[in-house]
Amino acid sequence: MDEIEKLKIENEELKKMNAVKSDLISISAHQLRTSLSALKWILRMFIDKDLGKITSEQEGFMQKALDSNERMIVLVNDLLTLNHAENTVIKFNFKEVNILELLEQTLFEFYGESHKKEVELIFLKDYKDLPKVKCDEEMIRVVFQNLIENAIKYSNIKDKVVISLKYSEVNKEIEISIHDSGIGIKEEDKSKIFEKFFRAENAKTKDYIGSGLGLFTTKHIIENHKGKIWFVSDQDNGTTFFVSLPTI
Amino acid sequence: MKKILIIEDDSFLQGLEVAKLKKANYDVITASTGEEGMKQIMTPGIDLILLDIMLPVVDGFEIIKKIRETESTKKIPVIMFSNLSDDKEVKKAKDLGADEFMVKSNFTLEELLEKISSLLK
Repeated sequence: MDEIEKLKIENEELKKMNAVKSDLISISAHQLRTSLSALKWILRMFIDKDLGKITSEQEGFMQKALDSNERMIVLVNDLLTLNHAENTVIKFNFKEVNILELLEQTLFEFYGESHKKEVELIFLKDYKDLPKVKCDEEMIRVVFQNLIENAIKYSNIKDKVVISLKYSEVNKEIEISIHDSGIGIKEEDKSKIFEKFFRAENAKTKDYIGSGLGLFTTKHIIENHKGKIWFVSDQDNGTTFFVSLPTI
Repeated sequence: MKKILIIEDDSFLQGLEVAKLKKANYDVITASTGEEGMKQIMTPGIDLILLDIMLPVVDGFEIIKKIRETESTKKIPVIMFSNLSDDKEVKKAKDLGADEFMVKSNFTLEELLEKISSLLK
C-alpha cells in the first residue's frame, strides 16, 4: 500500500470519528437542553407566582438559579453552533450569496433587541449591487449574528452601532465592518479575544452569561471561507470588527 | 375555550406545559407517545397542536405529515416545540407545514403562551 492510499484510509477513519463525536455532542446537548428547559420553566413559574406566593428572599434565590441556568443554556447553544461549524468544514454548503441581502436580513432580526437596549443600528450601504460571495449562507449568518449581537451587548445606552460594507475591485473582496462605541477591549486582552472560552473581565460586567465561544466560532467560520477577521479597539471608546470575504 | 393538544413524551415538561396552559384558560388534552398522538390529532375541535419531535414509536415529523395530509386536521396551527435545533430539522419542520419552530430551552412558557395566542388570533 503506498503512502497516499494509507493517508486516504486514515482520513476516512478520522472523518468517521469526527462524525461519531459530533453526534455524541448533538445527543448530549439535546438531553442537557431538556433538563435545562425543565429548570428554566419551573423557576420562572415560581418567580411569576404561578405556583403560589413566595417571599422576596426566595424570589431572589430563584432569580439567581434562573440566571445560572441561563448561562448553561447559552453555553450549550454556543457549543452546538461550534460543533456544527467544525463539523460542516468538510461539507460546507457553498453557494453564491448576496452579502448585502444577507446582512440586511440579519440586521432585521436585531431591531427589537437594539430598540430595547436603546442602541441605534445604522447600516451604511453605499452599494446597490455587489459581486456575490461563494459561502455557506447559514454559517456566514452566524458570523454576522455574533458580531452584531456583541456590538449591541457591549454598547452603552444611546450609542450607535454602525455597519458598513466596502468592495475592493483590486483585491476582489468585500469588507464588512461593525463598529460600536462601547466598552472596548483592554490592551492585554487583545491577543486572547479569539481564544476558545476566553471572556474579558469588562465584558463580563456587561454580559455575564456569555460562553466565550462566539468569537472563536466566528473566526473558525471566516477562515474556512478563506476570509479574514480582525479588529481595532480602544478601551472605553469602542471596537470595530472587520470581516473580509473573497468575491466570485 | 380553545382546545390545545400537547404531544410531549417528557412527563415533567408536559406537566408544566399543561399547568401553564390551563392557568391561561385553555382546554388541554395530551399524548405521551407518537402513537397516542396519531390517535389524539383526530379528536374533534382542536384549535392548536404543540408537537415535540423526538417521541417514542412515531416521531413528530410523521405526525405533522399526517396532520397536513388529513382533510379534517390540515388547517390546525402546529407549533413544533423541541430541543433539536439543527438547520435541517428546522427546515424539515417548516417544509412539512409547521407554523412555528421553537427550541424549548430558549423560551419561557410565558413566551410560548404569547406565540399560541398570536397563532389563534
